Amino acid sequence: MAIQFIICLNKQGTVRLVRWYEQLDSNEDTQRYISNMYRLISARDHKNQSNFIESFTDKTKLVYKRYAGLYFIMGIDLADEESIYLSNIHLFVEVLDSFFGNVCELDIVFNFYKAYMVMDEMFIGGELQEMSKDVLLERLGNMDRLD
Amino acid sequence: MEKRLGLSNNGASNSNSNIRGLQIFIADLRSSQQSQEQERRIQAELSKIKQQFTSSRKKSDSSNKLAGYQRKKYVSKLAYIYITSNTTKLSDILFGLDEMVELLKSNVFSEKYMAYMTLEILYEHQEVVNRVDDLVTAQLVKDLAGSNDDTVALALNFIGVVGRLKNGLAYNDDVITEVFQIIRSPTAAEHLKKKAALSFLTLLKTNIDILTGDLQRQNHWIQRILSLLDDSQNYRLLLSVLPLIEFIARYVNPSQCVRLIPQLTQILYKCLIGGTSQLAETQFPAEYMFANVPNPWLITKLVSLLSVLIISRSEISENRAGLLQASNIDTDNLGKLRLCVSKAIELGTRDVSDPMERIVQNTILFSLINFASKLDPTEEALSNSATALCSLLISSETNIRYLALDSLVKLCAISEKTVIDSVCKKNLNLICRLLNNEKDQSILRKLVDLLYSFTNVDNVKIIVNHLLKFILTSRTISDNKMKRDISVKIAVLTEKYATDTNWFVEISLKLLSISSNATNNDDLIWERLSQIVVNNPQLHKITCEQLVDYLNNNNTSETIIATGAFLIGEYANLITEKISIGELFNLFTDKYFIVSNTTKCMILTTMIKLYKFAPEIGSAVIKFFQLELNSLDIELQTRSYEYLKIIQISNSIGNKALLDTLFSGMPSFNSRTNPLLRRLGNLPDSSVNNNSSLWLKVNKSEASLAGSPERRDESSSSVQNSTSPLSSMSSNNGIAPAPPLSRSRSRMNSNVTSPIKNNGINDSYYSRQNLSSNWREGFTRSISHRQGILYSSSLIKILYRITNPDIQQMSILQVSLTFINQTEWEMSGFNTETISYQLQDSPSYIIQNVESLSSTSIMPHKRIEQKFNITIRKPFEVEKSVIFNSHFKCGGSVQFLSLKIGIGMTSTLVNNVEQPGMTLPEYIGRWRQLREGLGNDGEYQLVVRPKKSGAQDLSSSLIQIMKRLGFQVVEQDSISNTVFASGIIHTKSTGNYGCLVKLKSAISSDGDSREIEITCRTTSAGSLSKYVVDCINYAL
Repeated sequence: MAIQFIICLNKQGTVRLVRWYEQLDSNEDTQRYISNMYRLISARDHKNQSNFIESFTDKTKLVYKRYAGLYFIMGIDLADEESIYLSNIHLFVEVLDSFFGNVCELDIVFNFYKAYMVMDEMFIGGELQEMSKDVLLERLGNMDRLD
Repeated sequence: MEKRLGLSNNGASNSNSNIRGLQIFIADLRSSQQSQEQERRIQAELSKIKQQFTSSRKKSDSSNKLAGYQRKKYVSKLAYIYITSNTTKLSDILFGLDEMVELLKSNVFSEKYMAYMTLEILYEHQEVVNRVDDLVTAQLVKDLAGSNDDTVALALNFIGVVGRLKNGLAYNDDVITEVFQIIRSPTAAEHLKKKAALSFLTLLKTNIDILTGDLQRQNHWIQRILSLLDDSQNYRLLLSVLPLIEFIARYVNPSQCVRLIPQLTQILYKCLIGGTSQLAETQFPAEYMFANVPNPWLITKLVSLLSVLIISRSEISENRAGLLQASNIDTDNLGKLRLCVSKAIELGTRDVSDPMERIVQNTILFSLINFASKLDPTEEALSNSATALCSLLISSETNIRYLALDSLVKLCAISEKTVIDSVCKKNLNLICRLLNNEKDQSILRKLVDLLYSFTNVDNVKIIVNHLLKFILTSRTISDNKMKRDISVKIAVLTEKYATDTNWFVEISLKLLSISSNATNNDDLIWERLSQIVVNNPQLHKITCEQLVDYLNNNNTSETIIATGAFLIGEYANLITEKISIGELFNLFTDKYFIVSNTTKCMILTTMIKLYKFAPEIGSAVIKFFQLELNSLDIELQTRSYEYLKIIQISNSIGNKALLDTLFSGMPSFNSRTNPLLRRLGNLPDSSVNNNSSLWLKVNKSEASLAGSPERRDESSSSVQNSTSPLSSMSSNNGIAPAPPLSRSRSRMNSNVTSPIKNNGINDSYYSRQNLSSNWREGFTRSISHRQGILYSSSLIKILYRITNPDIQQMSILQVSLTFINQTEWEMSGFNTETISYQLQDSPSYIIQNVESLSSTSIMPHKRIEQKFNITIRKPFEVEKSVIFNSHFKCGGSVQFLSLKIGIGMTSTLVNNVEQPGMTLPEYIGRWRQLREGLGNDGEYQLVVRPKKSGAQDLSSSLIQIMKRLGFQVVEQDSISNTVFASGIIHTKSTGNYGCLVKLKSAISSDGDSREIEITCRTTSAGSLSKYVVDCINYAL
């Protein structure tokens, strides 16, 4: 019923942002989990293949999109409809882009704490909390200016 | 590296919140080329920060304390070191935890933010939680209750982010109440309410007891939450509240939410119809639009909730209490909802150029089409939906093809066949063409699913031929798994729809002949074919004839050889016109040396059957067996020896009576369900429910089976499993099916005797334990709750958590215990001991992997942890569960606690709320089946008076209790005062057992109190039912 995690990886598979809204199975190793994900996604043909990976594990499917050198990935429940989450990713990237002003990977490296601020203003407990870009940017701008 | 993500180039957000020291540090690290150099830089920075932190601690003079900005800078550097080291440097930065807590107390927003953010990242690690959780939670509660909105927002975010990772928050009443206060407060700011709704959802997901634990609170709080929808103009708030309500409707109390249907319909209608209208006054506010279409988030969330509240015709049989059926919705609203569906179709098939806009409008389309089935759709509406989806199949965008197919598969599964058939007939060629051109594996998979779901008697030949051609020629499918899956589907389809028996045999054999290597699925296919052939006499001859043709080919697959060995062995006498028995013998002799040992075994059996038909080949057969007496394989050797002996005995007594008895004709198989159906994967259910046309013929001959000898080949054992009750429930989880009745019964018998044998245990170490005075409370709680308080006193609190570390092995449980020092003094010399009831003579459970305590001392208000595993090997009484002793010193005196943890048979139930339960008729069927199979042996009944009286609605609290235990409860309202529950009990050694429980509440005979009659039946004839009932009794 919701987003299980949001992960942002670069082309080399380095994690740039990661947020878990659900606990992984206790026998699952986080690093291995992410590198499996990276291997699967980076091997895909981005022209001829969809942005969805149906059964990543027996309780998670993946929705992802590549923007320049960064992959934005969401893990969602099997019963969820994929396409709305693709819009979620797109909205997230749009807001990052406007907030940082033409965002690039380095912005996220140097300002990781602000990137998380954007993420948390948009998603809580795996659900989208605001869909208006203007409202989000206004609020983020205010927070950014606070002491 | 510096490539922009490329969306826009607006002005930068630059502010004074940048931290220069951090930026320089990051730039430094990035400029160092070698990892050694980086490592040195990190270590230098770490020791500098450590020094700063310690010196600030030493100086009591407040003016010398670290300034907030400095602290924020150092904490942010620690966070970066953690991130950039890919979490490997966690232990190096733990020294900073106290300063992070200090930073959390700051009144400066950016400082507090940095602390919350860093802790959010680190909270996935248990050691971090253990060290600072109490302090963090205390500050969190303070921040929640504070008057600064920005601070409250940070605290709510924190709950939303870590609430599921760390269970404590969801059990902390202060946290829960503060969050709820914000939801209900009339004055709270909108963005706080949004956050509070979702934070509350996070807490609720972690601990559903927040609402289910107290009925009064439930009613009151749910009302408050639902009233947030009253302001239907406020779409912003809606977005966050809808998921919360959906969760409540699904898992807490659906009937309270049903009244929302008109309101939700109205909003959806306004969104879709208003949002696309050209008339200015009905138009949707521009900001709620996304990419020129009505807001897809709002629409998907509304539809998702409506789908929970409205049940379709096919779901009625499941008797889901409290939900509304389309026919009960007033015509006005139903009309509006249907209009929304057609609007979505209109919108979704509109031509737009912007890819994002297209995906959004399709999101709306798919979401509403999936929902349409709930609205008693007319045939016309259904075929409109299907046509719209088919038109998207030729889209050049992979995502859209994928999603359209996904929707089509779902639609076919729920719709009347006739409607879909008419649409799909038109598109059959298109779909088959796509099959050949598509490059995306997952789309291919969906295409196959779609073809599968609309196959019928008329088109089965066309579709099967296409699929066969596809697996033979396609170069796109690289993985064998997909080939195997398609093979299974072909096998199921041919069995289900074939009316032409020749064709059925032809296709089945072709399928077997192309299997490259013997796999599990292939085994199932040939076993199933053999069963069908055995049960249908008209197939005996033609199948064997065709098999001979295949066998004459040198490259034939091993599965064909196995099938041939079995079937020709049975019916060789029918094909002597085509090939003599002697020639068959030669044929199998040739094949014998190119196959695996399993198939060799079968050929040995074929040989003696051939001998039965034609004793004149005796000398050749005997020679053959004699040769195999030297086989290295023990099974082959044994078989050869035995068969040789049988021939010798037959010869010496001079007649074939022994041979004829031992190798008499195969009786009909008795398994109605095709085991292949289980291999179909995640196809929607209804498409696989139909009984096969060929199989129906079997039922007539079932009567003859009753008197048949217990003769089963290898092939039949796997099939037998599928007839044992309840196995279909477990198979969805990929868990091994329950053992057949006959086997589990004999096992249980040996088990029943064990308690008697163990009477000597009276004197055991276990029985000599002196349990602490109020152990029972925690014991009872741990039977019914997966986590909670095991023991609590003024000195110490012990929390427990019972989990299943491996979902594949539900018989293994992990117990985690947390000990919290409640005093102002240090506790030292902590040590613990686990004692199981029995260690030798095949114990019912064993304790394994006992981890040592995380520390042997606990500082005031701190905690330590310990974990161990319990493997449940066979059924046992919950009273014999694990005893857990702990010793520690506190304030000079030695303390000793001896507690029993309630691990019982119900602890192995799969607690899966997602999975649909049985319907009442299914339940009654199984109940009877168990009765017929086991009589009174598998049943146990107990009448109890519930301890907690006063709840008005006893049934619903019983349902909650059963669900909490992990049972699935049959949703029904036709029989009141009775709760029907089912589950699978898992054990390591004696396998899994199906278990049905009936709870009937009534007024007791003396008339002044309630009584509950608990009846339990299991697939085991032993005391398992009693053990289960005992657990339930504790939980009541």
